[in-house]
Amino acid sequence: LSTVTLGAPRTAAGPSAETAETAGPAAPSGAETAAELADLLVEAGFGPFFGTPCGILAPLYRALEGGIGLHTVPREDAAVGVAVGAAAAGRRPVVLMQNSGLGQSVNALASLAVPYQVPLLLIVSLRGVVPDPTQENLVMGRITEPLLEGCGIPAFRLCADRFPAQIAWARRVAGMEHRPVALLVPPRLFGWSA
Amino acid sequence: VNKTEAVRAVIEAAPREPIVFTTGYSCRIAKHVADRPNHFYMTGSMGLAASIATGLALAGRMHAVAVDGDGSLLMNPGCLITAGMTADLPLVHVLLDDGAYASTGGQDTPSARADFVAWAKACGYASATRTRDPVELALLLRRALATPAPSFIHCPLADEDERVPPRVDLELAGHFRRFSRHVATL
Repeated sequence: LSTVTLGAPRTAAGPSAETAETAGPAAPSGAETAAELADLLVEAGFGPFFGTPCGILAPLYRALEGGIGLHTVPREDAAVGVAVGAAAAGRRPVVLMQNSGLGQSVNALASLAVPYQVPLLLIVSLRGVVPDPTQENLVMGRITEPLLEGCGIPAFRLCADRFPAQIAWARRVAGMEHRPVALLVPPRLFGWSA
Repeated sequence: VNKTEAVRAVIEAAPREPIVFTTGYSCRIAKHVADRPNHFYMTGSMGLAASIATGLALAGRMHAVAVDGDGSLLMNPGCLITAGMTADLPLVHVLLDDGAYASTGGQDTPSARADFVAWAKACGYASATRTRDPVELALLLRRALATPAPSFIHCPLADEDERVPPRVDLELAGHFRRFSRHVATL
């Protein structure tokens, strides 16, 4: 799939990533969007799920906890470690984290998941990205996508109207190319507001 | 007991079960003692050996062994919380404690007053024991491999290793695939 069908390329954040979230009153709620994403991930064979809580991801967290289950790991780099073990056991694990935790996880990714070519999916929320004005998150918001690119981890911003194609892409990259891959969650995807 | 004798005891007691060796000398010694497909040499990501073994035990529903170090455990003591959270986790967490950051010049680890066995118990491990004898280490390990619960074995090291083998220079992606293929046969 080309970048056109998958959504906005990592470096051009803007318009197409926002379209789905500015839809009219008939648009699904954040909880419904999160539940749809959770179902699609499970149907695609992803799991088990590990995570460290994040406000933006809370609806997805809830959907997973109420369904297939999710293991909370107190620090994101340790969650990456546990997921690597799950991948060694033949699974296709997912790690949910805030981008602040991505900062915490750089060495786990750079010295473990990437060089050992471990198939795992990171679902990373984007604090510090519009409409999140919190100063403490702006730096990480700015460097999340360049950081992933520098690590050699392909990433896309999730768009509610492209979930199936984006998940199929993640499945293919993780499963066929044997490498970690990331799907990014903009603040408004599941209804978060500052 | 020195690190080489302790690593040898672990390898002999767990010939098929997945073993994750922490970065530094543990990896290097293990690969030199016997390079088996049930070995995972974690050459970087210091602190994550027990986390990886926890993921194996959790997702693979099989016994997994972590060979941790004191410096490594100090970097990620939260791994004890995660392992202790699952009462029936088939994890064996071996801590080879030489009181030093051996591969970076032997600097002291700041844990002289910490009680690692008490940490493991407090985090929910079903058993946490201490031994300074390689024969007993192997016995404790085999007993833990028959127990469907997280076990912790603290092995304080006293003696110097004669010589430490060279760096693990395997192609890492191929190493992970070899390990995964072995795990798939269990």
